[in-house]
Amino acid sequence: MAATDHDDIQPADARPRLGSITLAALALPGLLNVAHAESAPTDGVISVKLQSYDDRQPGLDRIRVIAPSLYVLAPVASNWALEASLVHDDISGASPRWHSAISGASHMSDHRTAGTARVTRYFDRVSVGVGGAFSEERDYRSRAASLDVRWSTPDNNTTLYLGAGLTRDDINPVNGVVENEHKRSNEFMIGVTQAWTKNDLVQLNVGHVAASGYFNDPYKLVDKRPRERDQTTVLARWNHHIEPLGVTIRSSYRFYRDTFGIRAHTATVEGVHPLGERFTLTPSLRYYTQGKADFYYDPVYDPVIGEPYPPGRPRLSSSDHRLSAFGAITVGAKIEWRIDSRWSADFKYERYEQRSNWRLGGNGSPGLARLSADILQIGFSRRF
Amino acid sequence: MIALKIPITPPRAALLLAVLALSSLTGCALQPPQAFEKGNLAKREMTFGADPLEDAFSQHVYFSKEAASGGTGVGGGGCGCN
Repeated sequence: MAATDHDDIQPADARPRLGSITLAALALPGLLNVAHAESAPTDGVISVKLQSYDDRQPGLDRIRVIAPSLYVLAPVASNWALEASLVHDDISGASPRWHSAISGASHMSDHRTAGTARVTRYFDRVSVGVGGAFSEERDYRSRAASLDVRWSTPDNNTTLYLGAGLTRDDINPVNGVVENEHKRSNEFMIGVTQAWTKNDLVQLNVGHVAASGYFNDPYKLVDKRPRERDQTTVLARWNHHIEPLGVTIRSSYRFYRDTFGIRAHTATVEGVHPLGERFTLTPSLRYYTQGKADFYYDPVYDPVIGEPYPPGRPRLSSSDHRLSAFGAITVGAKIEWRIDSRWSADFKYERYEQRSNWRLGGNGSPGLARLSADILQIGFSRRF
Repeated sequence: MIALKIPITPPRAALLLAVLALSSLTGCALQPPQAFEKGNLAKREMTFGADPLEDAFSQHVYFSKEAASGGTGVGGGGCGCN
C-alpha cells in the first residue's frame, strides 16, 4: 500500500505537513502517481504488490494474469526525487477471435515486463519531472517519454499542471498477419487542482492524444480499423473529508470521446473509513458506459451460414466486443493495515462485470456474452 | 416567454462541469483555506493517486477491457493487451 505514505502513524502531537497541498494532491499519475510536496520528499518508500486478474464468460474461462510489481521512491539530495516501478505479467488463457464467440477462441500464453522511471527537480513552488516507460511482450514493444511541469500559487491553494508525452509502439504478431507495424501517439494534458475549502480538494484535467498507425487486433477475424485515432478526456475529481466522522469520500467523473466514434462516461466513488488507529476500510464503486465505434458491427450467429462477414466488405469493420456498446460495474473493498510507523500492508478485492444492457442512455450491442472478472491485490510497503 | 431549449449532450455536460469547476477557482463561492486550516487536506487519503501500483494495475485492466482510457496523466506507455 501507501507507496507515498509520509504520514503513516504520527505521534499525537505531530503536526501534519502543511506544504503545497494542491501540488501534493495533484500527484498526477501518468507515469507514476506520487504525492509531492513543493519540496522533495524526505522519506523513501519501497512497495511490493502481488496482483491477479481472472475473467470469464458463460462457458469459457478466459484470461488469467498474475502480476508481481515493485515501486521505489528515493529522495536525492534536497531538491530531487527518483521513482521507478517494475511489473511482470504472466498471462494465460483464451480469448475469442471475434465478438464473444466461444468456438475457435485462441488459447494463448504470454509474458509482459513493463517499467517506468522518473526524476523530479523541485524549485520554489515549481516542480519539473522527466520520465520514461517501457513495455515488452513477445509481439508488442512500447516506449514512452514524458515531461511535466507543476506550478503552485503563493497561497499554495492552486496548482496548475502541464504534461506532454510521446509513445512509440512496435507490433509483430506471432501469427504473422503483419510485420513491423508501428503506432505513434503524442499526448498533452492541462490540469488544475484547487483546495476549495479546508475539507475539499477538487481537480480538473483535460487531455488529448493524437495517435496514428496500426490499431487492428491481429488476433481477431476481420478486424480493420482506422490508422488514426484521436482521444479526448475530461476528468473531474473531488475529495471531501467529513470531519466529525473522520471519513473521506473520493469521487470522480470522466468524459471520453475519440475519432473511432466512441463516447464513454466513467464515475467512481469510494469512502475511506478509519477502523481504530491502525486499519482503514475503503469500499469502492465504479460505473462505466460506452457507445460503440462507428465501424463496429453486430455479428449474427447463423448455424447455416456460419461466421457472418460485414455486408459488402466495408473498408473498416470490427466485431471486437471492446468496441461495442455496453456498461460495466466494479464493486470492491480495500483494507489497509498500518503495522508500525514504517511498515504497512493492504489487501483489495474487486468484482468487475460487463453487460450490454448496462449501457446508459441507449441499447447495448446485442448478442454479447456477459464478462465478469475477479481482481485481487495484496501489498506491503516500507518507508526508509 | 420563449423557452430556450438546449439539449444536454455528453460534451455539453462535460463543458458545464468544467465551467462549474473553473468558476469555483475564482473563489466566488467558497473560501479557500488558510495555511493553518490544511490539516485535513494533508491527510494521505485526500491525495489523488496515493497508491501508484494499485492505480497502474487498475488502469491496465480497464485499458485492456474497455475502449476509453486516460485522463489522469501522460507518459504511461502502451501495451498489446489483447
